[in-house]
Order: sequence, then C-alpha cells, then structure tokens
Amino acid sequence: MSELVNVTIDGVEVQVPKGTLIVEAAKRAGTEIPVFCYHSKLDPVGMCRMCLVTVGTPVRNRETGEFEVDDNGKQVIRFFPKPMTACTTPVSPGMVVITQSEESIADRRGILEFLLTSHPLDCPVCDKGGECSLQDLTYAYGPGVSQFYLEDKHHSPKKEPLGDLIYLDSERCILCARCVRFEDEIAGDPVLAIDNRGRNSKIVSYSNPKFDSKYSGNTTDICPVGALTTRDFRFGARAWELESTPSVCNLCGVGCNTVLNTRFDEIKRVMPRQNEALNEIWLCDKGRFGHHFNGSQNRLTTPLIKKNGQFEAASWDEALALVARKLELSKEKTGGVAGAHLSNEDLYIFQKLFRTVLGSNNIDHRIGLNANWDDQLAFEVGAGVGTDIGRLKSESAILVLGADLDEEAPVLYLRVRGSARRGAHLINAGGRWTKLDNIAEKSLRYRYGAESALAWGLVAAVLDEGLENKDFVAARVDGFEGLIDAMKSFTPTRAAEQSGVSEDDIRAAARTFAKAENGVVLYGLESGGNESLQAAIKTLLLITGHAGSANNGAIAVLPHANSRGAADMGIVPNRLPGYRPVEGEAGLSAHEMLSPDAPLPALYIVAADPAAQSARYKAAIEATEFVVVQDLFMTETAQLADVVLPARGTAERDGSFTSVERWVQAFDNAVSAPALAWADWLAFTALAGKMGASWSYASADGVMAEITQTVPLYAEMNFDNLTRPISLERKMSHYIYSGTSFTADTREGLQWRSVAEASEAKMPVAFIAPADVPPAEGMTLVAPRVLYDGGTLIAQAEVVSAHIQPAHAVISRKDAAQLGITADDSVTLTVPGASVTVPVRLNGLVPQGIVLVPRNLSGFPAEKLLGSKRLTAVKITKVPVAELA
Amino acid sequence: MWSDVEQKELEEILKKYPTKRSALLPALYLAQREKNWLDDDDILAVAEALEVPVTDVQAVIGFYTLFRREPTGKHMIHVCTDLPCALRGAEDFYARLTRRLGLPSEGGTTADGLFTLEAVPCLAACDKAPMCQIDLQYYENLTDEMIDTVLAQFRAEAQQESGA
Repeated sequence: MSELVNVTIDGVEVQVPKGTLIVEAAKRAGTEIPVFCYHSKLDPVGMCRMCLVTVGTPVRNRETGEFEVDDNGKQVIRFFPKPMTACTTPVSPGMVVITQSEESIADRRGILEFLLTSHPLDCPVCDKGGECSLQDLTYAYGPGVSQFYLEDKHHSPKKEPLGDLIYLDSERCILCARCVRFEDEIAGDPVLAIDNRGRNSKIVSYSNPKFDSKYSGNTTDICPVGALTTRDFRFGARAWELESTPSVCNLCGVGCNTVLNTRFDEIKRVMPRQNEALNEIWLCDKGRFGHHFNGSQNRLTTPLIKKNGQFEAASWDEALALVARKLELSKEKTGGVAGAHLSNEDLYIFQKLFRTVLGSNNIDHRIGLNANWDDQLAFEVGAGVGTDIGRLKSESAILVLGADLDEEAPVLYLRVRGSARRGAHLINAGGRWTKLDNIAEKSLRYRYGAESALAWGLVAAVLDEGLENKDFVAARVDGFEGLIDAMKSFTPTRAAEQSGVSEDDIRAAARTFAKAENGVVLYGLESGGNESLQAAIKTLLLITGHAGSANNGAIAVLPHANSRGAADMGIVPNRLPGYRPVEGEAGLSAHEMLSPDAPLPALYIVAADPAAQSARYKAAIEATEFVVVQDLFMTETAQLADVVLPARGTAERDGSFTSVERWVQAFDNAVSAPALAWADWLAFTALAGKMGASWSYASADGVMAEITQTVPLYAEMNFDNLTRPISLERKMSHYIYSGTSFTADTREGLQWRSVAEASEAKMPVAFIAPADVPPAEGMTLVAPRVLYDGGTLIAQAEVVSAHIQPAHAVISRKDAAQLGITADDSVTLTVPGASVTVPVRLNGLVPQGIVLVPRNLSGFPAEKLLGSKRLTAVKITKVPVAELA
Repeated sequence: MWSDVEQKELEEILKKYPTKRSALLPALYLAQREKNWLDDDDILAVAEALEVPVTDVQAVIGFYTLFRREPTGKHMIHVCTDLPCALRGAEDFYARLTRRLGLPSEGGTTADGLFTLEAVPCLAACDKAPMCQIDLQYYENLTDEMIDTVLAQFRAEAQQESGA
C-alpha cells in the first residue's frame, strides 16, 4: 500500500494514496467535480478547464520548517492565487480544496458559456440528450444566456462520417479529445487527431480506411457530448425510453458484459456494462454492432421437416416425434455436434441427452481448424480466481503465445495492452507480427510449428539458470527431479535451433518470466495447443511458482463465446462435465463423426455449420441417413438436414456463458423470439421427454440448479449467485458511470477454481518432447483468425458488412516481389488434393515463406486447404488477370 | 515521392533527431519545397518515412498555416493586417490589392496562377506598414504604385521564362 495523505475537500477530510488527483480524491469525499476532458480511464490532460477549483496548502515557517498555526491552533492555509485544474493536480499532505467557491462557480459558468459559443443546442433531437455531460453540467453550472452573438456561431456539417460506423457532428464537439486519447492510449490505434486550430479545430481521421480501429464505438460512449454517434443508433431512440437488460456478448470468448437497450421489443443498441475484472467499460465494434443478427429477416421461425426434398413447416410436436423415432433407431450410434455459442445449460442438457438417453459419447464442439485443440490447462493451472489481466504492473510478466489478441479477443487485447502500459513485462511470442508487438517488451518470433519447442526452451532456460521457485516446487510439484533428467538433452541451445528464436532471447524471456512476482501465460489458436505445448506451459507455470493464485496461471484464448463452457460441460467425446473421464470407451470426435467413409446413421448438429467448411464434412452430412439441425438461420448444413429446428438467440432467452478466464456469467432475456423459436435446452428436454425421459426443467435457472449439484466446479454457480446485485458500497467505490449506461452495474459473474488453487496437492510435471519441425521448403500456409470473419451470426449484421473480410491470402512484400505478384493480383494456392484461388494482399510485416489465409472466411479457403491440419506446405502461383475475367 | 536529392536530405535530417517523429516539421518542409503544397502522396510518404500515423501528419499540417494542402500560385504574397499595421492603413491596402488582383476579399490565387494572396497576422515589421512578404522577401512602406511595380516585375520575369 502506498503512502496515504490527508486532504480536506469542501470541509470533508479524506485519506487518499499519495499522488491521487484532486478530482479522484473528491469522489472519496462525496463531491463530484464537473469534468469534460478528464476520464478516469485516460491520462489527464487539463484541456477543458471545467474542473477548476480553489486549492490551498498549509504554510510552513521558512525558518523552522514547522507548519504555522493561527491563534486558535489551526493550521494556516495559503490558497493559490489562481484556480487549479482538479484533474491534473495531485493532492499533497494537508491540502485544502474548495470546489464551490464563488470564484470556481464563476469559472465554470464562464467555461460553459465559452464551450457553448458555437454549440447548436439541438438537444431535443440529439442522440446524447438525456445522458449528456454537457447538458447535465449546463443545467447544474451554466449560464442561462450567452453574451456571444448568435450570428457568429460556427456552422459545420451535421453528419460527417468519421469512419464507417461513427458520425461526427463537429458543431457539438467541445474538443476534449477523449476520443483521440482513447484511440492512442487504450486502443493503440492512433487514427484520430485534432486538425487545424482555434475555432477551426476538428476531429479527423486519415487512416485508410478512415477510423481504422476495432474499438471505434467506445469513443461514442466516452464522448461527453453528442459529437460522436453510431451509425445504427442515430435517431434510433431517446435514452430514457430504453429498457436495459444485462447480457453477455456472444461473439467471442472474452465474455464482455453488455447492456441490451431495447424499445418496443427491439434491440436499439448494445452498451458496455462495466465490469472492472473483464471488459472495464469497453466493447469491441463486433460486440457493439454485431447484435443486428437478432432482428434479421432471415431467421428460422418454425420447425421444418423435409418431405420429398422440400422443407415443410411443422409443429414442434410433429418434428420432435419424428426426431425421437429416428434417434431411437440410431441410439448410441448417434453423433452430436454442438457449437460453442450455446449456453452452459444448453450444452449440459445436450450431453445429458446423448449420454443418458441415447447412450452415446459421440459429442463434440470442435469442428474445422479448432478440432485439434482440447484445452485442459485452464482446468489444471488456469489463472487464479481474482486475476486482473488489465491491471498488472511491473511486478508481473505476461507471456502471449500464438495469439493475435487484437483479432481473436479484442477486449483482452485492450486489457493486456493496459497492463503493458502500466509496466507489466509483456513477452509476445508469435510466428508473425501482431499488434501487441507495438507495446511488448520483448517479441519472440518463432518458426511456425515450433511453438512447443520454444515453450520447452523457456522451461530449459529456467532450469539451466536455476531460476525455479524452489519453495513452490518443494511444496506443490511432483516429478521435478524426473523433469530435470528428462530435459538434459533438451537445452536452450537446442530449443533455439528448433524454434528459430535466439538462445539469448529465450534465456532473457525465461528470466523475465521466472523473476516476476506474478506470471500469466495466454495461449491462442496459432500456438496449436497440442499436448506437448500444454505440458510445457503447465511445467513453466509450476516450476516458476506462477500457479494457484490470483494473477498467476494460464488463459486459453479459445475461439467462441462459450468454448470454455463447452469444455467444462463435457462436450468432448472423452470427458464428462467437470473434466471427469468418460466411463468406458471415448466416443467419436466431430472430425470422426463427419467422415464420408464411415457415416453415422444420425447426426444432431446444433449452432454449427460444418457443411460450409469443407467438402469432406458436406459429403459426410449428405451420406448420413438422418440429420437434425438446430440453428438461428438456414445454414448450408441446415439445407442438408431432414429436420430443422429454430433456436433462440442470446437476447431472446436467459442462460449463462463461461469466459476464457473462467467467469461464469448469466444473461437475461431482453426481447421476444421470432414465432416458434425455442431455447436450445428446451428443445433437448422436450426431445428427451419424447424418448421416455421425465426431465422437469422449467427454465435455464432450473438446469443450472442441476449443474450445481452434478458438476463440482459449478457448485456455486446457481442463478441466485450469478444475478446477485452488486452491493451499494462496491458500486460507490468501483463504478464510474462515465461511458456506460446508468443501469449497467447490476451483477458480476463468478469464477471457478482451477486444480492448482482448489487443493494443496502436488501437481505432476513431465517432459513431452516437442515435435522437431524442420524449416519448410517453399511456402507454409497458416490460418490465423480475424475478428470480422464469415461467421453465421455476424454475416447477418448489415451494419458491419463493410468490415467483413472476403476470402484472401496475405504474403510478404519480399515474397511477392520474388514471385512477381502485385497487390492487384489473385493467387492460386495448391496443396495435394485441393486448390483455391483468392485475391492477394501484401504486407511488409508478414514473415517470408508464410502465406496467411484467415480461417472462417466466406468460401472457407483455409479450411479447404488445411483439412484438419494446422499448417501445410503450399504452392503459390500468380493468376494472370485475363484468366480471372 | 522523394527525389534522390530529397532522399539524401531526408536522411541528413533524420540524423539530427533522436526519434524519427521529431523530424516531422523539417520533413514536411522538404516535402513541400518542390511544388509549394502537399498532396496525399506527400503526406503518406512523410508518414512512412518517419513511421508516424498518417492522421498525426495531417494534424500537424492542419495546425501550421505554412503547410498547404492545395496548389498555390508561383509566388506567395503575405500582407500583414494585424492591429498596428491596420492603424497605418494595411487593411485598406490589402483590400485594394485583392481588387487589383481580381481576388475575393479573403485572398486566393490569381487566374494566371502567378500569385497567391493571404492576409496574415504579425510579420514583425509594424513600423514599416503597409508591408508584405513575397516568398522570402519583405516589401515595406508600400503604396499601391510600389506594389504594382513589384508585381509587374514578377509578371515580366514569368513571361521571360515562358518565352525562353
């Protein structure tokens, strides 16, 4: 704890840490100092002058150095001759602040009059009206009239696109630069600036495309006036007409807390719900604008049964009766694929349906290029409960391995970036440049395929330099001597040869990680996540003592909203809920179920579209006798189905998701579902009923009640706990109400404890030798993940359609020059048995010898080329323009 | 964008600063030297050379009046109309000059592309107003006749150049 100082603010004495700004100290004293440019998430700049206060400090006797006292024995305070900005002035011992002095009141009135000289005062039609700082503070402090001439008001366009999603009305702008600073400081996308000066100053963006940031929507939240508005909410509704429902974003695994603002049963906008442990007050644009799929005209509205090759509408009763009849026949040979967008309740009931009613372990949530990744690390050594990845400082080290957080988990990128700014030692290990390299202390560039070699190299360096945490090893690690023996032959030098990272870099990174008080490893899709890598990360964490406590452990950056929950709920062929192994034989994985050579008699596919991904999957589904698909939309897979069942979107039902950091969080029902759509768990329950089970779940709540009984990890996760309102005390100390909706502070989730935290038992470590991947001849194909991919849901959100990336390949400029390829060309990529032609993009930051084809794009080029592999050698040829035409 | 000579000069400029970003102003002057204004390609070239976001480059150009984003005449005429100069008749002098050049009251570029006229704040020659700066040269204690003579000289030069 840092040193505390006493200050008096408007007569109230408070103790605050040294260095606290007056504006923050005032909050503790119960005084809200009015601000525009100041935001507690941004560095103070003192631009708007709204927070001027009168400040005095105790007088010291110049000779004795003692504080002077008056006749009554009170300290003499000398006030500064001019007002001070509360947002940039730190407190000092004995400081006295008067926020309501006559002088300050006059200052604020003057500042407001000045800010309003060219303000259009169009509050009645302004989207910000009702939640606008300028409006509120003008009511509180402003003059009712202006001395300035009406004719001299500046005028500028009312609707200027600052980017594709954000409009600027510079008449309303007060030039606080919150948006510019957010993009610079928080997002690391310096794409906004103030152009010109004086009255002509204006927010501009000259990036290509304009306002090139995945976080642009946040600027509209923190804009203290109505200058920045979002394209989809413009004139959409008045803020006070909106109802607020707490929800959780379903578009990636971070689990950002959201508020769904609805009116007349329609989602008007999605706002961040403040959760300091998860998304703070931020959302990425995909989360903010992606919700439009809910209201899409293309939603499935009724169960469909295919008769003579044509779908015909049917009742649920009819459809489920047919499904029940068919599954009675296939029984334990039935296969089930459930997308990881489903809630914990859906997934639990799905596996219960398969395991108890059908007697089948053939269930999986991993299809396509995610198929090989089965994360157990989070269960064993997951980052401890209470880990705050956004607030680590110089005592902590963060190792990011094979994850492009900016694309895969945007808000997690903001958080890790925030920690790096605050001094945390960030080591970014990747096969290519990613945005975190801009702020990383050390970037390790490994050869694709050698991720485990690098990770074991870090372990080897820790052992070689004797940097292991000896107390922790003695208390908690089993097999340490064996590890040393096994790793004799795997030295840092060997790791350097295999991985392409220099031995010095490996040793330096290992030292940084081992010596830090806290250590977190985030590993993502591009790392491969194989057994050897997971063992290496686990070993690294255990021998350095970075396990079993807050701010220590591993975070698997899994791809979907509930990938973590799907693993927790046992949606894998070899494990039951709660990471218990299945009794008897493991079932088939999705990849095995979707095999055209050995098709199953029946498949139940929920919230997944494997047919679109590869010809192999499509052929397998076509060869399957009976296929049920349950989804929101008529996907390619649904078109091949015999029965299609309409499901509800996240906003149309309640349930819970588990985030990549193991936060279990409940979301509420905000709007009605179209016609006959059902929540997924309800469909599974009804089907089980038709097959003789007598389950009596009445709600998601009820399903979770059973999960708390049967899955020890989730023992505390009942809906009472998950929806418990935050205490007033916590709200007061914790919540900032600046850039979020006022009803945003309703609840926080709960984290389950990893094995390392839950018991004191020793944990085994063992060396699993990494596969030696020699440098590839020619080009290697890598399939990274991009935020705006061709996902089923996001494709239905028109507002972001300009951001959706079409199929393409990226190669380095150097390779392009050698191959005679220019940015206007297309290329044909060929592997044995498959070939695709896509437009090419050139990028100076891509390593030579690498072709990047993002996964999950329209037409699935990466999936077609890779099959179930992670990397492959690929032949690249330029396609002459004439041939394309 | 950069010519060979400019490229060399740019490298020399960069040597003087601890970080590339610091060289922004001199780099922009260099980029503007040839044609007296900056187009989008120039800005991109500066941004790339200095590894600075293009938006930041634009913001700096927007802040400083001596960087131009639109084509100008061959010669820049700056007339100071600040208060001390105005007291010595600079405002009227400027107004007459706009009319004689056939320009609107806010100045601009003449139809023949020879002159760009701008009213500017202080040029630090208050005691010699009305005055103006043409390119880098000061012309002081001006009368209409004097400025006509000066402009005529520029026109004659231009004609000679185009004739030759």
